[in-house]
Amino acid sequence: MVGAEKSVNGLLDDMAVKIMMIEPGDLSVVGELLEVLEELIAHEEMASQASLRQMACAFQGALQDLIMAELPDTAESYQQLAECICRMQEVRRHSDDQHAVTAFCSHLNSIGCKLDPARFVAGQQDAAGQDDNNDPAFLRDKELLECFIDEAGEYLGSIEANVLELEKAPGNSEAINAIFRAFHTIKGTAGSVSLPEISILAHAVENLLEEVRSGRISMDADVIELVLAVDDSLKLMVAHAQDVYENGVAYHPAAIDGQLALISSVLEKKCGNSRPAPDEAVSPAKVPAADETPPSSPAGGAVPDFLKDSDLLSGFISEAFEHLETIELNVLELEQNPNDQEIINNIFRPFHTIKGVSGFLNLMTINRLAHATENLLDDVRNGKLTMNSGIIDIVLGVGDFLRTMIQNLSDVLEKGSEYYQQYHINDFLARIKICQEGSEAGQEEELVPMAEAAPPAQGTPSAGPVGNATTAEPFAPAATMVEAGVAAAGSQQKKNIEAAIKVDINKLDGLVNAVGELVIMQTMVRHNPLIASLSDPKLNKDFSQLTRITTELQKTAMSMRMVPIRQTFQKMTRLVRDLSKKTGKLVNLVMDGEETEIDRNMVDSIYDPLVHMIRNSVDHGVQVPEERRKKGKPVAGTVRLSAYQKGGNIIIEIADDGEGVNTEKIRSKALERGLIQAGGSYSDHEINNLIFLPGFSTADKITDVSGRGVGMDVVKKGVEKLRGKVELQSTPGEGSLFLMFLPLTLAIIDGIVVGVGSERYIIPTIAIRESMRPKMENYNTVQGKGETLLVRDTLLPIIRLYHVFGVADACTDISQGIAVVVENEGRQRALLVDELLGKQEVVIKSLGGYMKDIKGVAGGTILGDGRVGLILDLAGLISVSEEMGPGHFNSSNAFQE
Amino acid sequence: MANVGRAQSAVKKDVKALAGKYLTFDLGKEEYCIGILKVREIIGLMEITAVPHTPRYIKGVINLRGSVIPVLDLRSKFDMEAKEYTERTCIIVVEVRGETEAVLVGMIVDSVSEVLNIVEAEIEPPPTFGGDAVETDNFLGMAKIKGRVKILLDTDKVIGETGLGRLANAAA
Repeated sequence: MVGAEKSVNGLLDDMAVKIMMIEPGDLSVVGELLEVLEELIAHEEMASQASLRQMACAFQGALQDLIMAELPDTAESYQQLAECICRMQEVRRHSDDQHAVTAFCSHLNSIGCKLDPARFVAGQQDAAGQDDNNDPAFLRDKELLECFIDEAGEYLGSIEANVLELEKAPGNSEAINAIFRAFHTIKGTAGSVSLPEISILAHAVENLLEEVRSGRISMDADVIELVLAVDDSLKLMVAHAQDVYENGVAYHPAAIDGQLALISSVLEKKCGNSRPAPDEAVSPAKVPAADETPPSSPAGGAVPDFLKDSDLLSGFISEAFEHLETIELNVLELEQNPNDQEIINNIFRPFHTIKGVSGFLNLMTINRLAHATENLLDDVRNGKLTMNSGIIDIVLGVGDFLRTMIQNLSDVLEKGSEYYQQYHINDFLARIKICQEGSEAGQEEELVPMAEAAPPAQGTPSAGPVGNATTAEPFAPAATMVEAGVAAAGSQQKKNIEAAIKVDINKLDGLVNAVGELVIMQTMVRHNPLIASLSDPKLNKDFSQLTRITTELQKTAMSMRMVPIRQTFQKMTRLVRDLSKKTGKLVNLVMDGEETEIDRNMVDSIYDPLVHMIRNSVDHGVQVPEERRKKGKPVAGTVRLSAYQKGGNIIIEIADDGEGVNTEKIRSKALERGLIQAGGSYSDHEINNLIFLPGFSTADKITDVSGRGVGMDVVKKGVEKLRGKVELQSTPGEGSLFLMFLPLTLAIIDGIVVGVGSERYIIPTIAIRESMRPKMENYNTVQGKGETLLVRDTLLPIIRLYHVFGVADACTDISQGIAVVVENEGRQRALLVDELLGKQEVVIKSLGGYMKDIKGVAGGTILGDGRVGLILDLAGLISVSEEMGPGHFNSSNAFQE
Repeated sequence: MANVGRAQSAVKKDVKALAGKYLTFDLGKEEYCIGILKVREIIGLMEITAVPHTPRYIKGVINLRGSVIPVLDLRSKFDMEAKEYTERTCIIVVEVRGETEAVLVGMIVDSVSEVLNIVEAEIEPPPTFGGDAVETDNFLGMAKIKGRVKILLDTDKVIGETGLGRLANAAA
C-alpha cells in the first residue's frame, strides 16, 4: 500500500501548494482546495487516521466559513490556514494525537472560524451527549436544511429504485449514472448544510461508483448490497436530521466508519492499487491549471467548475429567480413599513440562501455580492443602520444585478460555456461599503425623517412616494388595499405551493390539445349521419352526458394553464416606484382584481404593453405635485391597475387621475401628419385613439421615459398579437383610461363560421361589428375605386371574400350574400360572404412553418365535420384586397335586379 | 450548370449511403422511390381544404388526426399533365426538414406500389440533361432494377421548405 501512503501525503502537499498560491479574493482556488480535501477525507487510508481526518474535517469547516465569508478573506487568514496544513502534515508524519486536533481547532477559531472542537474531537468515536448544549451546525440555516431534507429523500428513493433496476440489468449505464448523480448531489448539498457524515459517506460511495462507471470494477451483488446499505443508512441519517430539526431531538452524528471501511475494502479488493494512480495523475495536473488562472478574475477558473454539476446549477438558477422575486416584493413592502423586522428577515433569508448555494457551486461573484448585501441587511437588522431609501435602492439594484448574472448562468447552461460573462460587482460592493461606513455620519440626517416617518412625511419625494398613501387622506383606503392585496398574496402563495405540483408546460399543452381533439371527435361522432338518424332516447341521453363530461374536461384543462395576473401586476409596483422617483411625481399604484386568471402563455406578452401604458400614465398623465395642488387635486396621483373578466374577455384597465389626453393637440398633430382630413368629422374618441399609431407622439420633448411615439404602437401591436384590442377613453382634466381587451386563452378563439361556396372560413368574433344582408339602396360603386356599402352613415369598402381567395363556386350576387362588417386597426370593411353558419369556439392550429406567412390566413382549425377550416387574418386580408385593387367586380354581378 | 456539377459530385460521394429500403410509387409512366424512413404513413385521398395564395401544386391542408398538414400534388409540382384522381390515388405523408424542426407534408401520387431493398450496385447518380428542363437537384440518383429505372427522390429538396421557399413568397 505504498501507493496509497504516497497519495495521502501527496494530497496534503497538493493542498500546501495551493494555499500558498491563494491571493485574497481568489475564492475559486478555495473551491479547488475543498475538492482536494474531500478526496483526502474520503481516502481509504484515513479510516485508520482518526485524528488526521478530524483535522481535515475541521479544516473543511474553516474553508466553508471562508466561502461563506464568516472568515475574513485576507492574506492573514491564508497564512494561518497554510500553517494548519503544516500541522496536518506533521500529524500525518508522526502520530495519532487527539491533543493535536484540539489545538488545531482552537488555532482555527483563533483566526475567526466558528468551529466547535468537540464536534471534531469527539466526532466519530463517542459523540453521544456531546452536542446536547450546542445546536448542531446544520441547524444554522433552516431553509437550506428543509430543502436538503426534502431533496435528499427524493434522491435516496430514486437511488433505491435505480439500484433495483441495476440488479435486473447490471449493464445499465443510465441507471449507474443516475445513482452517481444522486449521490453526488446529496454529497454536495449535505456539505453545504454542514452534515459532514452524510457528505463523507455519499462521497465514498460516489468514488466507488466512479470506478464502476469507468469499468474498473463490476456492479456485482456485493456492490449492489453495499450501495443499498449506504442508501439505507443515509436515509436514517436524513430522517434523524429531520427529527432534530422538527422535534428538537438531540443530534447524534451517525457512525459511518464501518461503512466507510467496507467501501474501501471493496474498492481495494476489486481494483487493488489501481485507484491511487489516477489520483496522482489528477493532482499535478490541477496545480498548473490553478497557476494559469489570473488572480484578477476570481471566477474565471470557475467556469468549468460550476458547470460540472448542471443538475445542481439549474436547480440553483430556478430557485434563485424565485428568491429574487421574493426579495423584490418584500423590499417594496418594506418601503412602506421601514421598521418591520419580519420583512427585513424575509429579505435577509433569500439572500442568505443564494449566498450559501452560490458559494457551494463556486459562483464567487454572486456569492460575494449576496454576502455583502446580507451583511448590510444584518446591520439593519441589528439596528446598526437604519433602513432608508438609499439602502432600499441598493438592495433592489443588487437584486436586479443578481438576476442578470443568474440569467447569464442559465444561458451558459443552455448554450454553452462560451456565453459565460464576467460581471463586475465592485461598484455595488463599494456602494454597500459606503452605506455601511457612512452610516455613522449619515445617520443623523437619515434617521430623523425615516424613523418618524413610519408613515413618511408628506410631500418629500425622497421619502418613498408609494408610502405616501398612508398620509394622503383620500387615498388611505387605496393604500390599505394594496397592503391587503400583498398580504393576501403572501398567504395565498404559500397555500398554493403546498397543494401544487410543477408540471412541464409541454405536457400541459399536450393535454389541452388532446382535449381539444376529444371535443371535436365527439361532435363528429355525434353528427355522423348514421348515428344522427337513430332516435334512441338512451343514446341521446348518453350523448348529452358525454358532452357534459368533455366540456367539463376542457374547462379543467384550460384552467390548468391559467395563472393569476398578480405576478405581472406586482412587477408594475416596482416600475411605478422607479418612474415616480425619476419624474419627481407622487404616484400611488392601486391594484384590483389581481386574482383574475389569464393564460400562462399570455403572461409574458402582456408585460411589455402594460409597461408602456403605465409609463405613459405616469409620465404624461399624472401631473407634478405643484400643478396638482393648483388644480385642487390630491398631491399624489393615482394609477389604478385592474383586471376583470367580462364575457369571453379579460379586461385590463389602466386608469390615472391626471390631466387626460389633450384631444386638440392630437388633432393638430394628426392634421400636420396628414392622418386625418381637415374638416372631416371625427369623434373625440376616434381622435384619441390615433395615439396608437406608430411614431405618433404629442410630446414636445423626448424624455428618457417616453415621447418617441413608439410605446403606444408597441401596446397596440402586442395586444393585437394576442388577438385582443386596446382602447383609450379620456376626460380632459380628470384623467384617462386605457382598456385592454384580451381573449381568455390563446388556444381557442370565438369565431363565426361563414360559408363561401363550398369553403368554410372562420372570422374572429372580436373583429366583427355587425352583419346584414346588403340593401340595394346602400350599395354604391365608385368608378375605379370599387364598391362601397353605406352602413350607419359610413361608406365601407366591400371585400368580396370569394374573389380575394379565388373560390369558384360562390354566390356573386351581393343582394343574395351577407355583408359582415369587420374592423381591424381602425379600418372597417364590409366582407361579402355567402352565408353565416354559426358561432363556434375553435381550437387554433398552426398551418405549420411551411405556410406561416400566407396573407389573410391566421391559421386553421378542425371543424365539426373533421374538415380543416381556415381562420381569417383581417389585417392581411384587407391589405391583400387593396393590393389586388379594384376592378374585381363587373356590373353584371353586382345587383341583379 | 455549375450548380448541377456540384450536385453531381456530391451525389457520387453519397451513392454508397443511398442503399437501403425505399417505398416506390407511380407518377404517370415513371416510377419514383423515397427512403422508407422518410415516410410517415400512406392515407387514402380525403377532403382537402384549399388555401388561397399558394402555388398551384399546393392542394391545401388536411386534418391528419388532429394536426393540420399541407398537401401537394406531385404531378403538378413536376409540371406533369394533370390526371383525374382515382381509387388508387393516395397521399404519402412524409417527414421533411423544416426551418427549425421536421414537418409533415402530404404528397398526392398516382399509386403506391411496393417497398424495395435497393443495393449500392443498382444505384447511379442522376444523369445531366442540360438546360433547366429537369431539375436534377431534386433527385438523389437512379436505380436500375430488373430492367426498370426508378428515380430516387430527395424529398427534402422537392418539398422541404428549402426546396419550396416560403409558399407565400412563391405565390406572389
